[in-house]
Parts: sequence; C-alpha cells; structure tokens
Amino acid sequence: MSRCDFKIVLLGSEHVGKTSLVIRFVNCRFNASTPYQNTIGAAFCAKAMCVNGKTFNIGIWDTAGSERYEAMTRMYYRGAHAAIICYDPASLPSWARLRHWLQELRTVEEDCKVYLCGTKKDLMDSGAAARDVPEDIVGTYSQGLHGHYLTSSKTGENVDELFQKIVEDCAADIKVMKNIEEQRVQLQKEEDEKRKVYCYC
Amino acid sequence: MDDVLDEVVPSEDLQKFEKVYHEQLHQGRVTPKAQFEYAWCLVRSKYAADIRKGILLLKDLFNSHAEGKRDYLFYLAIGNARIKEYNKALHYVKAFLEIEPANQQVLSLERQINKRMEKEGMIGIAQEIAFGLSNERFIWRSLSSVEKAKKGVVCLV
Repeated sequence: MSRCDFKIVLLGSEHVGKTSLVIRFVNCRFNASTPYQNTIGAAFCAKAMCVNGKTFNIGIWDTAGSERYEAMTRMYYRGAHAAIICYDPASLPSWARLRHWLQELRTVEEDCKVYLCGTKKDLMDSGAAARDVPEDIVGTYSQGLHGHYLTSSKTGENVDELFQKIVEDCAADIKVMKNIEEQRVQLQKEEDEKRKVYCYC
Repeated sequence: MDDVLDEVVPSEDLQKFEKVYHEQLHQGRVTPKAQFEYAWCLVRSKYAADIRKGILLLKDLFNSHAEGKRDYLFYLAIGNARIKEYNKALHYVKAFLEIEPANQQVLSLERQINKRMEKEGMIGIAQEIAFGLSNERFIWRSLSSVEKAKKGVVCLV
C-alpha cells in the first residue's frame, strides 16, 4: 500500500481527457492510436514529486466521467487536497458539467484547492477544433480559484506545470503540512510497534 | 489505497446505498442504477457475505441490463478476487479483455490477481512444509522416547 502525502482528484465530463492527462503526467506518454475507453469507477496513480528539496508522494484519483458513476465520484473527492476540474474548450456541455462540480466542491469540500483545466490545447492551436467556451467566462470563473491551465496531453504542454503548481501550493499550506507531518509520525509509530512485536517472537 | 482489491467502502456509504435499494425494492421497482450502486458498495465491503451478495446483484444486472455490461464484468472480477475465488475472477477478466483487449484498468487488475494467487500459493506451500516438519519432529520425538523407554527397560532387566 502506498502512503500518499497529497491526494489529488480529477473531475469532469466524460471524453474531456482526464485519463490522458494522468497518463501524460505519470508516464510521460500519449498514445493517439489507443481507442477511447471510458474509465470504470476510478483509477489510482501515484508519483513522487520534489518541491523545495522535499519529496512528496502524490496520489491521483482519476474518476469516471460518465454519469453512471456520479454518486460514486463523490466518495473519491472526499478528503482531497486538490481537485482538477477538466473541460474541453470546444465543448459547451463539458463546461456546464464543470460548473456543476465546482458548485459541489465549494459546498462539500471547502478546503479543497480547485484548479480548472482546459484540455486538448493542440487541437485548438492547430485549428482542428473551434473554441466554444468563451475565454472571458472562464476568466470570471477561475477568479478565486487556485489556477487555470490550458493543457495538451498530446504535446505535454503545461501538464507538468499544472501538477507542479498544485504540489507547491499544498507544500506552502501550513494546515495541510501539519496534517502530513502528524500522519508521518503516526505511521512511524505504527511501524515501530510492528517491529517490537516481531522482536518478541 | 492504490490496490483496488484492498479498497474498503466506508460503512456510511454502504448504508446510504443500501437504504435507497431497499426503498425501491419495497416499492417493487429497482432501477439498474440503484442496484449497481448498492452492489458496487457491497463488493468493496470487508465482509465476505456482503461481497457474495454484491456478486449476485451484479450477475443479475449483467443478465438484465446490456448497457453496463463492461462495468458489471469489472466489478464481478473484483468481487470474486476479494473472496479469493481467483479462477472465477480471471474468467471475468478474460471475458472483459475479449471485448477491450487493451483496457489498462483490467490489465492491471489481472496482474494484481495473478500476484495474489502466486503469493497465497507460496504461503500455502510454506504452511504445508511447516506442517510436515512439525509432524516429522513429532514422530522423531515419539520414536526417540520409545528408544529411551526401551533402553530403560533394558537397564531394569
């Protein structure tokens, strides 16, 4: 079982590219030939990241976007330190869905840091897709949140920057860091206890 | 946490979805959504009886609701693996991979199941060896006490 310092959850409508974003970040790759597959429930990934000379284990919950899992997705953002809500700038319905998650997070998980992420930037840049979500609206919504990024999982643009910013924000949060420190001490204690038991065997 | 086979459902969640399911059952009409949500909690319970119940509900959904077949297969595999029915679990994994051969979630589940089978197989062998050894020691001890007794008899004579 891995011990995670920070819990990050990915939310957003189906087909916006949450899984591709995670795969690009964790495995540094993008496979254009893989057919689209809906995530079932939620998938977990972990990666170690370094900030200010300290290493943190971050756990990422990549949730299913399909509405079938909506009630279940709530269980995954519980206790999350940060949430990335994804949308596709070329899809207005995906933006409506983002607003839904935003509202829910604000009422249920007040302490969760929220980041907006517009995906598929390469399609926008090359003109293969036209923007459907007006920039000024995105700007208004991202005020008061922790950040807004336009990413491309295909080229990798802004992907590391987004996660780096999240980990930096978490590491700078005294409340979060205090909890993590306490957790680490507790884990150490438990491990010491276990060792003691072995000695008496 | 990263192991889907270790994930345990919080009891308040299980109760919440159980309540919805039973209410609908009472009214005589259970939606696939309510049944799936309840089954999804059950197969992630720490009690084998709950998991078995979840498996039954998922099987029923699999036969009656074509739309969510891949999801039902996935959780049928998880449920069976959690109660150590590894062969059944792999059967569901195989059925899933026939439809979506490159599904990363299912491929990773398959690896986890194989790892568990291997680990538990090794423990089983180790237990058998340990049992064998302790038996042997017991026989050896009994034999040596017989020998000693014999010697004692000889001495007495």
